[in-house]
Amino acid sequence: MSKVIMAVDDSTSIRQMVGFILKDAGFEVIEAVDGQDAVNHLLKNSGIDMIITDLNMPNMDGIELIKQARAMPKYKYIPIVMLTTESQDNKKQAGKAAGATGWIVKPFQPEQLLAVIRKVLR
Amino acid sequence: MNETNFNDIFRQEADELLFEIEEAVLEIEENPDDIEAINRIFRAVHTIKGSGGMLGFTKVAQFTHVLETVLDRLREGDLPVTKDLINLILRSRDHVKSLIDSTSGAGAIDPDQEEILLTQLNDLIQINEDKNTRNDSGNTMEENLSKYSPKAFIYRITFKPGKDIFRSGTDPGLLIEELKSFGDHNIILHYKNIPSIDVLIPDECYLSWDIILTTSRTDDDIKDIFIFVEDNCELTIDIVDELTEGDDDKEIKKIGEILVERQVISEEEIKNTLNDQKRLGELLIEKNKVDYDTIETALAEQAQIKKTREKHREEIKASSLRVTSEKLDSLVDLVGELVTVQARLSQFSSIMDHSELLSIAEEVEKLTTELRDNTMDIRMMPIGTIFSKFKRLVRDLSSDLGKGINLVTEGAETELDKTVIDRLDDPLVHLIRNCIDHGIETPSVRKENGKPETGTIYLSAVHKGAYVVITIKDDGAGLNAEAIREKAIEKGIIQREATLSEKQIYEIIFAPGFSTATTVSNISGRGVGMDVVKRTIGSLRGSIELDSLPGKGTVITLKLPLTLAIINGLLVSIADTSYILPLATVEECVELTRDYSDQSKGTNLLNVRGEIVPYIRLRDHLNIKGKKPSLEHIVITDVEDKRIGFVVDKVIGGHQTVIKALGPVFKYVKEVSGATILGDGKIALILDVNALMLFKEH
Amino acid sequence: MAATEILETNKYLSFKLDNEIYAFDISQVREVLDYTEITKVPKMPVFVKGIINLRGGVVPVVDLRKKFDLPTSENTVNTCIIIMDISIDNEKTLIGALADSVQEVMTIEPDFIEPPPKIGTRLDTEFIRGMGKKNDKFIIIIDIDKVFSVGETYMLQETGEYRGFEDASQEDMDKNIDKKEIN
Repeated sequence: MSKVIMAVDDSTSIRQMVGFILKDAGFEVIEAVDGQDAVNHLLKNSGIDMIITDLNMPNMDGIELIKQARAMPKYKYIPIVMLTTESQDNKKQAGKAAGATGWIVKPFQPEQLLAVIRKVLR
Repeated sequence: MNETNFNDIFRQEADELLFEIEEAVLEIEENPDDIEAINRIFRAVHTIKGSGGMLGFTKVAQFTHVLETVLDRLREGDLPVTKDLINLILRSRDHVKSLIDSTSGAGAIDPDQEEILLTQLNDLIQINEDKNTRNDSGNTMEENLSKYSPKAFIYRITFKPGKDIFRSGTDPGLLIEELKSFGDHNIILHYKNIPSIDVLIPDECYLSWDIILTTSRTDDDIKDIFIFVEDNCELTIDIVDELTEGDDDKEIKKIGEILVERQVISEEEIKNTLNDQKRLGELLIEKNKVDYDTIETALAEQAQIKKTREKHREEIKASSLRVTSEKLDSLVDLVGELVTVQARLSQFSSIMDHSELLSIAEEVEKLTTELRDNTMDIRMMPIGTIFSKFKRLVRDLSSDLGKGINLVTEGAETELDKTVIDRLDDPLVHLIRNCIDHGIETPSVRKENGKPETGTIYLSAVHKGAYVVITIKDDGAGLNAEAIREKAIEKGIIQREATLSEKQIYEIIFAPGFSTATTVSNISGRGVGMDVVKRTIGSLRGSIELDSLPGKGTVITLKLPLTLAIINGLLVSIADTSYILPLATVEECVELTRDYSDQSKGTNLLNVRGEIVPYIRLRDHLNIKGKKPSLEHIVITDVEDKRIGFVVDKVIGGHQTVIKALGPVFKYVKEVSGATILGDGKIALILDVNALMLFKEH
Repeated sequence: MAATEILETNKYLSFKLDNEIYAFDISQVREVLDYTEITKVPKMPVFVKGIINLRGGVVPVVDLRKKFDLPTSENTVNTCIIIMDISIDNEKTLIGALADSVQEVMTIEPDFIEPPPKIGTRLDTEFIRGMGKKNDKFIIIIDIDKVFSVGETYMLQETGEYRGFEDASQEDMDKNIDKKEIN
């Protein structure tokens, strides 16, 4: 049974690219357009194994998503990886403080994303 | 390193492998069930394919790929070991050799031969070989690349995650997994911090790990694993050991050292504890200085280092270093010069009688001796290296001639100086060819004479004192003394009236221009062989002797001195000249008073603790003029289990003797095998004890 | 020496033996040493005086006086050893030749060299390459290689050893040594 990864990004192209990489690597992918959408998925779906999320999103940004996810008993320890940019170091720190497991800097190669996933997801 | 060197290395490696292949193939011919030999062949071909492909020798890679596939079948047990298969593999091996030789411009490839072989090989595979050799070479390329990995480090890594690590979704286990993938590892989990269940907080991390890791990765690579948690853990990465060549003798770190390094305990405490007899680890735990866990980790570290070192040592043993003969010879020459200068130093320092200088001279002498021994040892090689080529020679030649001949070898591990082995090669080939060609009869003749149809050639090498004795025995027709005599008279080598002993007649075979073969056989060549053989053996300061029993067989005995350029000698003097006797032969020295020698005049026998030992007066034998001293000395030597004494004036002592050849002018002086330069610049003559003894026997 | 000079074999080193002047082809001369201690090697023909230590190498020394059957004389301060390159049986080696004194390097044009006379010299003409004429004097030019190549069998004969065929067997040689000893 393959693992389920939720890809959260308001940019359709990024969402689709990440989705494509993950599907190619054998993962099942759920797409969410922003933090709120993601939280809804988490509430409805108890079988999500990992979250990959952008930080800058409308309706609910990545930091808030992380906090919310960690507050749910089911997802207290779920691996969460942030998609950051070079210049967003303070956001990265905030994300860490909120409980993010790791991060990956945009733009990235498919292999880099997969390597990070191997680090945090069994 | 430039490209040319890689190619040379490949060719040299391939030479060795091709040699191994031939050896192993002949082994499975005798022993078709020898799985180990089959695997050896496979691995060797596989390696040639891989490195050949890597260097762009596509023809080599492509052909060996097909051969490898056949060998794969063989080792799977899908192919029976038949004579045809053996021949095919041998011919394929020869073809690979010609392909490789052609890469250096030496020799051409026979395309027809390749066609034939490929067809035969492919028949065995029964599939059409896909030209996907590139793919295969690709894989092998990786395999081979990984073989050439850079040097390895042994790291000691301690990882203690922060208590709340789980709350960031981190799985420390995954990080450890990643570490494990870097190389050999030893992991100690520390769980002693887990509190009792009543105070335990389930999602807090109480664990820490010590990891000993052997990898060629850098510490940055290791840090990268922990990149997400570096702010929330205690992480130390230390290099505890590096593997470089020649590491093997470095002491494996003692437990104590490891503990001190980790700052777990002070050197003081270690010393105090060591005064007991028990193992340090146990003691420390007993005394509560250090807890069990810590000791266990330290032990794990030690074990890891030991294991890695051993593995490394094995790899080194398995790998050999190729050195050109010239480099080795010049090294030996330099060592020789060093020994001479060191002798001067020793002599000078004993004259100066300065204690500091004396002790330095002594140390230099110790080091020089070790250096000399090591260098000499490098040149010693087992004679088996040429023995195996003879097996192939006998096999091929005997089948060409339609004779059944078995080659039995003994003493392949007998070691000789490399140059001696190199120069023995041709003479031995010639002698064995003669046995096959002239010595062993055809199966029908043998049957007629009540002999087994298959003849045997027995080749042995054994150390005897300061010599190596090589024997070639065959159970063939033997030497025909009459025919030899007739031929010798015909060629004007001897007079008809001359009476010669049987041995003397046999010796005629070594005269130049002599040959009893009535037809010039392609196989053993013209009759120019034996005199060259004798000359070559002579130039190695050895001797060759023939003996035969007509109808039964022939025995050829070669005796070669273990030509070490530097030997341990005993320095003696007669009148004002110094001589050296090889120390290896010397047993003891006894005084010979004038009275005693006068009494036993004419008998030259000495009573040594009840044993009668004959002796030779070197003064007489070497025609040394002058009055002999009233007190002489006898040096008693043991040569081939025969004891004989040599009378000299004085026995001076041991001397590291760098042998200097006398040159062609002195070719016929048997008793003196060389000369050496003493510390004061004077020359001492090196005596050949064997030759001196032969005189005595007459 | 300039390269062109070496190629010409018109240069010779002259030396004295028993007051007569001889010469060697300079191209074979390596160096000239002062007389130094010679270690005798047993069982050698009497004209092989022994061996010397030449910078760590062993070089045999011949006494040409003995070889040419000239009367012997005492060594003087001028006595020296001429070290030469020779070939014995196609094997290159060094040899030293004793000389009473060394004279000079001289040029003798080929026109001034006559073939050796059949009679009139005290030497076996095998060893003489030619007679050089210089300043109205005759200089005997020695072929040092011949001293040994002919002499190989020569040496054996001189030591009285058995010569059945080219390579005498060990046994027979020993037999004859024995005979000699008894006498």
